[in-house]
Amino acid sequence: MKTEKFIERERKSFNKMLNFRLPYLFKIVGVIVFIIALLLLIFRSQFGGELLMLKNIARQGIVIGLLFISLSRDKEEDEMTIHLRARSYAFAFVVGVLYALTMPYVEYGVANVIKPESTAFKNLGEFQLLSFMLLVQVMFYNVLKRFR
Amino acid sequence: MENTIKVERAILNITQDELAKRIGVSRQTINSIEANRYVPSTVLALKLSEVFGKPVNDFFKLSADD
Repeated sequence: MKTEKFIERERKSFNKMLNFRLPYLFKIVGVIVFIIALLLLIFRSQFGGELLMLKNIARQGIVIGLLFISLSRDKEEDEMTIHLRARSYAFAFVVGVLYALTMPYVEYGVANVIKPESTAFKNLGEFQLLSFMLLVQVMFYNVLKRFR
Repeated sequence: MENTIKVERAILNITQDELAKRIGVSRQTINSIEANRYVPSTVLALKLSEVFGKPVNDFFKLSADD
């Protein structure tokens, strides 16, 4: 009996975690944070100061902004939007893995053609991968919603 | 899965928007169900059944590829 109660409680908290969504307001906040961070990344040399720190802040802002957009509810949320969102996460995950596997070789190949003398093989950074996956998820979700 | 929701809606003389509001989904979702692009959950099917006053089997039918 005690074990059953424990399992039921675990199941409920797990479902609660899976169904977690931020309020719609966070979508707007996410867009604003994303745009500001993107502008900061593009025009960081104009601001002066510690450039590397600004770059890191801007990158984190982009990921946080995209995460807010991705996790927030829609104005009209129903079972179909939940279904489409799940599909978009699955798609973004697969595309993200393929991107992480192939992109370093593509970058290495392109760099070899352009500047063969100073080419070193390097893996993707976490910012590049996370922002790519979140961007794919957000875009694919909106495409699915448009074509529903 | 095939359905005759459009016909049932016409019998009741209600728009997609009105039906959507009655069962708590968006108009686009009703449109997708009617066009057989989306198969609703059992909960939604039972809500539709309540609105139409008919069993689910009357307006949802399995197709050959199901």
